[in-house]
This record gives sequence, structure tokens and C-alpha cells, in this order.
Amino acid sequence: MYEKISMEEVRARLEEIFGATNVSNKQVDLYPYSYDMTECTKHMPDFIVIPESKEQLVELVKFCNNYVIPIVPYISGNNVGGLTIPERGGIIVDFGKKMNKIIHVDDNMMYALLEPGVTFGQLQKYLEENFPNLRYSYPFAPPYAGVVGNVILSGMNNMSCKLGSMGDSINGIEVITADGEIARIGSCFYGKDEADVKSWWSRYPMPDLMGLFINWQGMTGLVTKCAVQLWPKVKYKKIYLAVTFGLTDVASILREAGRTEVIDDISAVSVEVVKMSVEVPEPIKYSGEPDFAALLVISAKTKKQFEAKQEIVEKTIDYLNEKGKNIILADVDEFSKLFNLRVRCYLDLPAALLSLVEYSGLTWFGSYAPSHKLEELIEKIDKIFHKHNIPSFIYMKSMKSSHYSIFRPIMRYMKFKEGEEERYHACLEEITDTCIGLGCIPYKTPAWMTAKLRDKINPGWLNLFEKIKNCLDPNNIFNPGRWNT
Amino acid sequence: MLNIEKADDLLGISLNNILSYRKMDKDFIGLVNNWNKKIIIEIEKFYPVEVVFDGNEIKFKIDKLDEKVDLKVKMSLKSLLEIAYARLNPINAVLKGKVKIKGMFRIGIVLKFLKIFVNSMRMVASQPNQNYYELNKETR
Repeated sequence: MYEKISMEEVRARLEEIFGATNVSNKQVDLYPYSYDMTECTKHMPDFIVIPESKEQLVELVKFCNNYVIPIVPYISGNNVGGLTIPERGGIIVDFGKKMNKIIHVDDNMMYALLEPGVTFGQLQKYLEENFPNLRYSYPFAPPYAGVVGNVILSGMNNMSCKLGSMGDSINGIEVITADGEIARIGSCFYGKDEADVKSWWSRYPMPDLMGLFINWQGMTGLVTKCAVQLWPKVKYKKIYLAVTFGLTDVASILREAGRTEVIDDISAVSVEVVKMSVEVPEPIKYSGEPDFAALLVISAKTKKQFEAKQEIVEKTIDYLNEKGKNIILADVDEFSKLFNLRVRCYLDLPAALLSLVEYSGLTWFGSYAPSHKLEELIEKIDKIFHKHNIPSFIYMKSMKSSHYSIFRPIMRYMKFKEGEEERYHACLEEITDTCIGLGCIPYKTPAWMTAKLRDKINPGWLNLFEKIKNCLDPNNIFNPGRWNT
Repeated sequence: MLNIEKADDLLGISLNNILSYRKMDKDFIGLVNNWNKKIIIEIEKFYPVEVVFDGNEIKFKIDKLDEKVDLKVKMSLKSLLEIAYARLNPINAVLKGKVKIKGMFRIGIVLKFLKIFVNSMRMVASQPNQNYYELNKETR
């Protein structure tokens, strides 16, 4: 129920804007948008609309702002934070169905201009078929997950040791603000009409207004275009597997190998996760087994460069072993054949990883973490997992040549089994309190987590945050409830 | 019909993967059926695994290992991969001390061990297909 307008009138206006076949308020259509994989509280939207153009969205935003109706952007629903659950009802804008075009790929300046609904699998296929010399980077996510959602929420991909947060690789965005105005941010900002598709090549040097929309979880506007950087595809590639014996030895790999500046990506998982990926759903870690497995990705243009990078990685691991760490290094291509080819899905991203998609429920504390606290984090979180009798599932990454890390304890569970959501949430809350206490900063945060953050954040930041939100969205129509707005 | 136990420890998973590759191979079945031997394999820094050939079954043990076994084999992961990918000859590996075998004097068992394990590893390693889903669905 809305204060200023009836549901029938809303439906009539939405049908005017989008056409009757692209609007629904049938319960059967709304239900899939009311929840996600996490244990976040379900909430039904009032309507779902499928847009085709930004002009339709301008009309929608003006209408919703006038009648104070919430708008929740949605791409594929794969986030693990309840971010598209419409906490206050309103209208789900499903970009994934029709606003999913790759508008332009620029070979010269290496970027792709995308509509919000483009998926990783779609972009990968398009590049392979049309621009085989260019590559994008992909997360541990299924091919049907959205590219734009990942970058504007500062996700990380398989070149993050080199690039850092994917938020840093955005060249420009087009966004609709609450008053229905369209703004283009980045080097595409010249011109009163549509921007030339070849003008989306840089984010700087003007004032960085992109920060008003990155990581805001759709609370400040609707992003309708996004230009993401691409990189040259190189001839030589190798992925090392490093297994570590000793619970915290993996932390030194993330730090030391990361800062060699020759590695594209370092990701590490608990040994239990390796087993999950080969059809051992509830793994036990046996005495004598390694504690963590890390993948170290290198790539190079020439053979000499490749050999030099290999030498640097191998010497770094030798150095760590000389310092008392317990690490075995192997070529993962060789190892995976003998072990189980299923683990190759971690190498050929994007992929539906068994360890993440096997159960109906998935939840996590995904965070940016201070690298010097990794040992303490691993020890404490491993204990919490054991206390709750839940298999230890810790995922870590080294970011931007080891300037910081990703620390992400993950849980899979039976979503529809009575009592399971509560049991896993209790564990996640304890993990959250511990990690925030050690300085971790969660990303893609559900509202219950941001409530915890608010207790810790300095008042000046919170006041500025509120001022910006109120200024950009005075009627609180954009994804209300997120960050406890 | 050969039964190969599904393991849930890392080395057991790997041994199951390697041996299952030849589950339908008549030569392999002939080699292992009723061999009735116990072999301990240890990869350095990991833990020992006992492979039990019992009638038409192959089982794996990682605790309460038998004190009396027919063969004990120890090597590093590096040596194992070098043997699997044919960069190292297994006989040379033994002579150079890269593979240590307790029970060497049981030459018949040693030779059969090489036929079972080394040949299977090399078959798996030389399989050009890297795609899990395209491989033999019966055994994988």
C-alpha cells in the first residue's frame, strides 16, 4: 500500500511506461524476487518491471519519486547479501532480461561499454568470438552473474592481485538520479546528447562523482550504462598450486607472493573447500592434510618474461620455506588431473563452483581485510566454525600487489530445512563481530551487518553519508532499507 | 566388477581418481583382482595411506594402519608428478633415492605395484581431455 496512490493506479502507470507484458504483480512472478541464497529476511516486492530503455526508467523514477514508491535494481540475484530483497516492497527493476547489451568494445582503449544486465558468460563469449586479443577478469561466480553489479559493488576477480578492487576498473557510468535526470560520469561527460561510444576511456581527472554511486547498493540512482576496462590477452599462463601445512602459513603466501608484483591473482581456500569441490559435501579435515590451498596465477607476453615470473614465484616460496613455513608448490594443471578434474572449475572462470552452488543456501562475511591481521583472523574464525560444527570455509585473496586482502568466511546450508537458517546465522554473527573487531570492512553488506558497522564508524563519516543520501534521494526511493536508510 | 572405495581424504580422493580411470580396463582388473596385498603410500609432508587390495575391492585407510604390509613407498609430491608426467623414470627414481621403498626384495610385488600405480598415473596424466564432464562418465 502506498500513501499517495492506489495499487491499481500504479499498475496502470507502469503498463503505460513498460507495456503490459513487462509488468507483473502476480504473486507467482514476484516470489522469486522476495529472497536470495542468504538467510536475510524475505520480503515481497509489489511489482516487477522489465525495462528496455533508459527513457522508460526516467519515467519510472519521476513517477516513483512523486509518489514515494521504492525502486530496487536487480540483475541476476546472485549477490550474497540480500541486496535485492525489497525490504520496503516497491518495484523491482529487472535489468537482466532486456537491458543486457554489450554496446561497444573498444579495441584501442581496451574497454567494454555495457548495459547493466550483461553477464560474465555473455561478455566472455563475446570477447572470445570478436576480440580474441582482449580479456576481462572473472570472479568465483557463475557465468550467469552480472558484470556491472560486480564492479559497482567493488567485487574482486581473477586479476585482483594486479588490479585490486573491480570498482577501480570502471571508466564511466550513466546514471538516473531521483529527479529523473541522466548524468554521465567519466570521460564520456562531454556533450548534451548521447555520448560517443568511443568516449568512455577514463574515469579521471574531473571530480570523481562516480563515488556517489559505487558501493551504494543502488541507494543513490539507477546505473544504466557502465564502461569497464579490458586487458590484453597474453600468450603464456600458468597457475601454481601451493598447499600449506600449518593453519596460518598461507597468510605469508598472500603477503609475500602478492608483493612480488608478478602475479595476476592469488586466492586461497581451506582444504575443506577443495574437498567440497570434488563431491565431499560435509568434509572433515584429517590429521596430516594441508590446511589451505592457494592458487597463484601468472601470465606473460614472452617466454623470457614468463620464465622470469616463474623464477620469482618459486624463489619466493623457497624463501618462505627457509623461514620455517611449510609449503609445497606444484603446477595445478598437472596436479588437478591426478587429483580430480573437478577442481579445474576454479581455473576456468566464470564457473558454477560446486562448493558454492551445491546447497540451496549460501551466506558469508565478505570483507576487505588488513593483511597483517590474517593469521589472527584465520585462527579465530577456524575456531568459530568448529564451535558451531560447520565445515571451515575460508576464502582469501591478495589485492593490488598485497596492499590489502580479502577475507571471506563462507557457509553453505539447507535453506529450506527448519532451523538451519537460524543456526548458520548465529555462526555468521559471531564471525562478523570477530572480523569487524579485527578491522575487516565487509562489502555487499546486508542491513543487519551495516547496523553493526554503524556502531563502529566515526560520526563524521556517518553524517556525511546521511547528508549525501538525503541530498541525492530525498524521498528515499532507491533501495530503501539498505545501510539502514 | 571392481569396487574402488570412495575416499574423503585428499590422497584417497586422488588414488581413487587414478585407479578408477582403469576400472573398466580388463588388463587392470586382471592385475588387481585377488591380488590381496597391502601397500602404504606416503607423500612427504602429507600422511601415509594404506591401499588394501582385497578380492575385487580396493580400499583406503588413513588411520589404524596395519603394522605388517607388503610394501611401503615414500616420495615427494614433486617426484610423484615427475614420474606421472614421464620426466622421471621410476627405476631411476628408486636408484636416486627419490622414491624410497621398504620391501624392495619382494621384486614381484614391486613390479606389479609399478604396473598398477605408475602405469595408471601415466594414463591419467596423458589424457588430453581437461574437461571433467567430457570424460568417461562411468568412472568420473
